[in-house]
Amino acid sequence: MNELKQSGIDVFKHNIKSLLGSFAGSFLRSGKPTSDKSRAAAMFNNFFLHVQGVKTHINTLRPTYTLGLGLISFFLLIITVISGVLLMVYYSPSIEHGYTSVKDINYVVFAGKLIRNVHKWAGEGMIIFVLLHMARVFYTSSYKQGREFNWVVGIVLLILTFGINLSGYMLPWDQLSYWALVIVANIIQSPKEITDSLGITKFFDVGVFSKELFLGGLTAGKESLTRVYLLHIMLLPIFLFIFLGVHFWRIRKDGGLTKPDVFEPKPIDAGLAALPEKRGGIFPTNKTYGLMELAHGRTPVVDRDVENTVLSWPNLLIAEAALFVLCLAGVIAYSFFIDAPLKELANPMIPENPAKAPWYFLGLQELLSYSAFMGGVGLPGLALLGLALIPYLDKEPYHVGIWFSNKQGKRIALESLVVSTIVIIGLLAFVINFGWFRNWWPNVPQMLITLINPGNIWVGFMIVWSLYVIKRTGSTRMGAIALFTMFLISFLIYTYVGTELRGPNWDFFWSKSQWPIH
Amino acid sequence: MRNRFFLWILFLSGAVLFVFTLIAAYREIAPEWKRYQAQYKEQIIKLAKDDATKKKAKELVPAVQQIYLGTLNRIDRCMSCHMGVENPMMANAKLPLKQHSGDYLKNHPPDKFGCTVCHYGQGRATNKKEAHAATRDTHWDFPTIPLKYIQSSCTQCHDYEMLSAKGYDNIAKGAKLFMEKGCRGCHKLNGIGGALGKKLDVVGSQPIAYFPMRFVEGDRNTYNWHKQHFTDPRALVPESEMKINVKPEETDLLATYVLSLRAGEMPKDYRRIKGTQTVEKPDEGEALYRMFCIACHTTGKDSYFDEIFNRTIPAIMKPAFLKTADEKYIKKVVEDGRAGTQMTSWKATAGGLTGVEINNLIAYITKDRPSAKPERFDFAGFKTDLKRGEELYNIRCALCHGKKGQGGEGFLGLNLRNPVVQGADPEFLAITVRDGRSETSMPPFGKKGVGFTDRDIADVVSYVKTMSKKK
Repeated sequence: MNELKQSGIDVFKHNIKSLLGSFAGSFLRSGKPTSDKSRAAAMFNNFFLHVQGVKTHINTLRPTYTLGLGLISFFLLIITVISGVLLMVYYSPSIEHGYTSVKDINYVVFAGKLIRNVHKWAGEGMIIFVLLHMARVFYTSSYKQGREFNWVVGIVLLILTFGINLSGYMLPWDQLSYWALVIVANIIQSPKEITDSLGITKFFDVGVFSKELFLGGLTAGKESLTRVYLLHIMLLPIFLFIFLGVHFWRIRKDGGLTKPDVFEPKPIDAGLAALPEKRGGIFPTNKTYGLMELAHGRTPVVDRDVENTVLSWPNLLIAEAALFVLCLAGVIAYSFFIDAPLKELANPMIPENPAKAPWYFLGLQELLSYSAFMGGVGLPGLALLGLALIPYLDKEPYHVGIWFSNKQGKRIALESLVVSTIVIIGLLAFVINFGWFRNWWPNVPQMLITLINPGNIWVGFMIVWSLYVIKRTGSTRMGAIALFTMFLISFLIYTYVGTELRGPNWDFFWSKSQWPIH
Repeated sequence: MRNRFFLWILFLSGAVLFVFTLIAAYREIAPEWKRYQAQYKEQIIKLAKDDATKKKAKELVPAVQQIYLGTLNRIDRCMSCHMGVENPMMANAKLPLKQHSGDYLKNHPPDKFGCTVCHYGQGRATNKKEAHAATRDTHWDFPTIPLKYIQSSCTQCHDYEMLSAKGYDNIAKGAKLFMEKGCRGCHKLNGIGGALGKKLDVVGSQPIAYFPMRFVEGDRNTYNWHKQHFTDPRALVPESEMKINVKPEETDLLATYVLSLRAGEMPKDYRRIKGTQTVEKPDEGEALYRMFCIACHTTGKDSYFDEIFNRTIPAIMKPAFLKTADEKYIKKVVEDGRAGTQMTSWKATAGGLTGVEINNLIAYITKDRPSAKPERFDFAGFKTDLKRGEELYNIRCALCHGKKGQGGEGFLGLNLRNPVVQGADPEFLAITVRDGRSETSMPPFGKKGVGFTDRDIADVVSYVKTMSKKK
């Protein structure tokens, strides 16, 4: 009867006093997470958190297993989106004002230079971490057992990451932007090499058509900038987020990250908070099924026990928060010391020599110097196709969740590393010292060079060597390890050569200090 | 222990993030220009003579000072540091707070003209390094221009006469040197001039990338390039053929002049041009000779072997030359040039000289022509034998003029295959062979010299006239 005596004002006062608590409670829906039940509820009742499981496997939380690479890529993306929106407030996508608006961002916008640096380096960091993430997923066989398609989605995300970075590189409209745009337009035009050789250019010039579609004309100009801007801020990000959603959703449906079939917790894992009680807790030791039981088919979660899992709140969230702050700190520290480049205003009359694409495409530009079509379209297309097909060509269902599968896998990886390093450097040394067909027989048909050039020879060698490994070991997984290792090494070496060792006229120099100064 | 590991990462990276955010924020809140503005405020308060000024000074709030110049297509933020340019109280202050020297700003108010339109530099930048842009890593093509060349900016709006009357005569002096040193013999300006060198129309506003900067001493910018190029062209461009004949103190004047040759025009309401603002073409013979010929032919009185061209440059005003070369021949050479040599064609469609100007020029060149005409040869009276001519040529002429008459570079004699020789009157050629060219390597081949008979000479000349068809 006490409550009846309470006046309306008292109730109001009480509500004000408990405002913070009740807001937090309503936000989390089930009050302060103090029990296993409320911790679980905090996860699945939250829009942003429910994409993650209520419980997380201990293996997922081991830093040595994932190295946090996928999350870092995602966090870098978040950082680029936020900094990118801030840049859009001032950036003007026109050839008249684009360059000066970037200058103004550098000089008079509050923290503009820092934000631009953060945007640039977080974006380029994404390339590195997406590639590393792909390597982690590959070497732990995480593309198997229902995750095949998610690997393909990952490849699409890799392409989109490259595309977004490249389109962003062109927006400042300085000399770097302009000449990168010219190179990319030439790459897009490179199917002309094939149609010319076949003599069908006059019927349908697919190379020039694609180039015009991209540039909005035959040469880079204001329409090109508009198109690149559209790609950078709208089209590519929309696709990126759609595929990212699919990527995450499928991880969740596949029962979280991969883990070894046989898993033993280590003493160090005892440090994880709130290990669920085996007996007497609210969770049974066997997984329960709801509507999932009615669904057809099989996901990797079925028939797995819930042992060795811990509550995601707080274990997973602490790890994620730590990684996010680490990313932010790393990017800001790097941006503090190293400025994003901004050269002179774009000038079509002054070709940069060497005109280089951004560093992540310089491996391709090296291949491009052998054959425009093969380096620009043929080989990268083949590489992406090969990467996408890996889960369908290697279906061996064991060793999932273990780095390099087993001892043999480690040996094969090391062996491929050595072999590929020797072969690539050998090929490069040969080309640099002796040239290729065009240098020996100036009138050789282009078709012959398109078909036989150092790039093709290298890719052919990769395929042959992988088949040899499969034959020798009797395991498709080993062949895949050999192929993937060689792909990574060639990306690394060709990118290094293109970035550091190629100077004016794409000539070879041991270091930039030997370049003839203009 | 795992959560503790993550918590440590969280804590440490949080600390790093905090520190860098703090430093970055400090850098944003306390930029270079704010320091200068604080100094400015302090000095004004100290120097203020009346309370009103003092009060006004105390109310100063630090802010980027920016002049937007729409028609000049620029934004100048220089006064963010150079606060005192318009303030007479700062006449004795130190840079960057010092008042602008002279009374220039009275007629050039900064809110109409800004700073970079005269001084260059990067107007948008808000720190000294990038605003002055002295080093290449700032990627700005026009650093602040040294004061010794600053008059090159004045001609954008003012004529030479007005500037000289006020004592700013560097530019007029530079233009005079340009006219008298024969620069246009090789370089085109306003479409008039030779074709050997680069066009100079917009050379003052060409970006750094147009110039080979490798050997420039000091800061690598176009100002230093021009100055050092006038001192020694081949020190900067080893393969250069440029002739230079200037005193050291004249290099600055010439550099000022070429830096004034800029692309684009100032908007109409900025320009105050009544007199000359560009180098005109004179029509008087001697001035024409100085403007177009003097760089190579010097006084025209002596022929000399030029090390750079690797050929002999004829003395075109020497009586001995003029005695044999008639007006028609000289006019043909001037109009068509000498293919295969450095001699440019000067007709209206090439070098840009009108017929009247060429006539005036020739009148000047031939003013010392001796009255005595050479003895007639009467070439038409001979029936020539080509085969005999060839034999004689190979014995006596091929050594200097080459087996195929190619001559020129590396030979003592000139190229006989070029259109001027091929198109010349055989009578004139025969006289030249007979009498030689005194004080050149061409000896007289007639009876007074080598001993050719007139028939020999006629045969050789007829053979020479067929040489252009010879492979």
